[in-house]
Amino acid sequence: MALLPTACSSDDDALTFFFAANPEEADARLRVVDAFQRRHPDIKVRTLLSGPDALQHVSIYCAGGKCPDVLMAWEFTYAGLAERGVLLDLNTMLAHDKTFAAELAADSVASMYETFTYNGGQYAFPEQWSGTFLYYNKKLFAEAGVRPPPGRWDQPWSFGEFLDAARVLTKRDRSGRVSQWGFVDTWVPYYSALMFGMNNGVPWSDPRMNPTHLNFDDAAFIQGIQFYADLNNKYRVAPTASESQSMSQTDLFTSGHAAMALGGHWRYQTLERAPDLDFDITVLPTGPKGHAAQSNIGTTGLAIASSSPRKKQAWEFVKFATGPVGQAVIAETGLFVPALRSAVGSPDFAKAHSRIGNMAVLTGGPAHAEGLPVTPAWPKIVALMDRNIGPVLRGSQPATSLTYGLTPKVDEVLRTP
Amino acid sequence: MTPIDATATAVARRRGPSGRRARAGRIFVAPNLTAVAVFMLFPLGFSLYMSFHDWDMFSPAKFVGLANYRSLFAEDPLFSIALRNTVVYTVGTVLPTVLISLAVAGVLNRKIKGIAIFRTIIFLPLAVSSVVMAVVWQFVFNTNNGLLNIILGWIGIDPIPWLVDPKYAMASLCIVSVWRSVPFATVILLAAMQGVPENLYEAARLDGAGELRQFVSITVPLIRSAVSFVVVISIIHAFQAFDLVYVLTGRNGGPETATYVLGIMLFQHAFAFLEFGYASALAWVMFAILLVLTVVQLRLGRRRAAQEERSWA
Repeated sequence: MALLPTACSSDDDALTFFFAANPEEADARLRVVDAFQRRHPDIKVRTLLSGPDALQHVSIYCAGGKCPDVLMAWEFTYAGLAERGVLLDLNTMLAHDKTFAAELAADSVASMYETFTYNGGQYAFPEQWSGTFLYYNKKLFAEAGVRPPPGRWDQPWSFGEFLDAARVLTKRDRSGRVSQWGFVDTWVPYYSALMFGMNNGVPWSDPRMNPTHLNFDDAAFIQGIQFYADLNNKYRVAPTASESQSMSQTDLFTSGHAAMALGGHWRYQTLERAPDLDFDITVLPTGPKGHAAQSNIGTTGLAIASSSPRKKQAWEFVKFATGPVGQAVIAETGLFVPALRSAVGSPDFAKAHSRIGNMAVLTGGPAHAEGLPVTPAWPKIVALMDRNIGPVLRGSQPATSLTYGLTPKVDEVLRTP
Repeated sequence: MTPIDATATAVARRRGPSGRRARAGRIFVAPNLTAVAVFMLFPLGFSLYMSFHDWDMFSPAKFVGLANYRSLFAEDPLFSIALRNTVVYTVGTVLPTVLISLAVAGVLNRKIKGIAIFRTIIFLPLAVSSVVMAVVWQFVFNTNNGLLNIILGWIGIDPIPWLVDPKYAMASLCIVSVWRSVPFATVILLAAMQGVPENLYEAARLDGAGELRQFVSITVPLIRSAVSFVVVISIIHAFQAFDLVYVLTGRNGGPETATYVLGIMLFQHAFAFLEFGYASALAWVMFAILLVLTVVQLRLGRRRAAQEERSWA
């Protein structure tokens, strides 16, 4: 089966499935689709690989009347589509499929399932936990004589311990140029900064659903953001945006030029293929005001377009990929950290991640994760964060500037999206 | 149909073969006219209609009157930032483009051996797609390993974070934009220069005028209308900048708001926020600004030409 990055065609009756994946993930994703087709040879599936901006890509498809039947949905952005009536309320399908509803209820992780419960409707079923954690290079830790970081979420390590490790693991050559970084970030910097705020004991927002306020005015949250910004501006243990222009931060880690990397499971397939990289995973550090090490309820799910003329086939596909059978295939291929408890605890999942010692970081992730805000205004919030957190991350303004600079703007958008 | 057209048609009807020719002409023109109507007039009219609506492409459009225009001018703090950035970008592009292309065209206008090769080289950027060019320039602007900083390093200048620091991002954009605009401007100016009668230069030389004096006193005044055309076209292009900015500094016009120009603002509202009504209003405001600029520029040009004619008389 080929990946088609082109528009949906209506010249045949294939079920169209829209998803995003990096090249390494795409192979595993196709194996899951193949497994579905073996079980349902009567349903033909055509895959549509997203461009760099999935929301924009799918919005254009749907607005143009060519909405894919099954859509990958992201925790941050699905609410906008749900609000506009693009996504089908899956409760309408569940009501006619009591057996599957019971299976799902028994095996789901509530916090992930509820991520896609918006204004009383269920707009997607979670397919994976995509929370963040740290990868670390075991060899570099051993060579520097640094004690390996903890392997479970209930064994936290502090900001101070993390910083000490990063300092020892940052190496400079004679000219003062850094040859090895203590820490790199393979996610989006302004999101990562907020993860440090969250690990200082404050969630991004409260309530999580349809918030009218984000906690950029909370002293502890700001302290966590400042700590993240200081990693490159003050402590010089992480590369600045300029310093990672010639080599991406993921490449710095895979090539052995960085000891720790913040990211999620979506990087695993890439790291697994890196030659000579001996890595494991650990939990995010906890700040002085934090109560426990926490990841985030990052999750993606599968949704069905409300306009789909193939809802029955789409329902079979969604049931397969998010139900016990497909989740077992996902576990076996190592594509994701499956959303269902039965799959994440399976021996196949452990076998697919043989290079990871601290499996508890993955399997225990959802239980030690805080939900992120769900609002239809998210694209505007992202634009605001990009604009306002930039100076803080560059070191030209303190994180306290967010209280008066960003908070009123964010709150205004949240109140009147 | 105007009275003149009607008369012409009546005459054409009386004349059999020419009437057929006129009809055939209309048939030949029809596909083009249809394309203009479908792909230009309809979208233009539709966007004007949408600018008075609140429309996210999914729900039915809701009439909001002038609310989009009102919130653009009165409530959106980013509009003034985008407008300021666009003006800086336009001035930073058009002025150097005109000066450099005048100089380049002046040099290429000489009759020396191998000039055709130089002309070909100077026109090359015109043939490269904006996106490809922007990607190449990303490498040039790389802070630690970029060509530009390596060259600056030879003369003792520390690495400049071209695309990363808001202080330099707009300057970087202008550099690329000038690099891209110069070939087109040069083609136009060179063509105009080649139309300047040679005997004027001969007379000037006999009067003892040097090369520079000839350029300033003969070439530039005589190609004024071409310069004016280049200025108008460059302003329009710069004002609508989008692709270069999107690739070089990202879809939010970063870092921070350093390269947040009107084109990026329009795209962001239309395709990221799905506010097509608001984006349409912005598009019409941009059109109005460009229209005013162009009319003012043309009027000034005409007035100047008239004054010169009077002074010669």
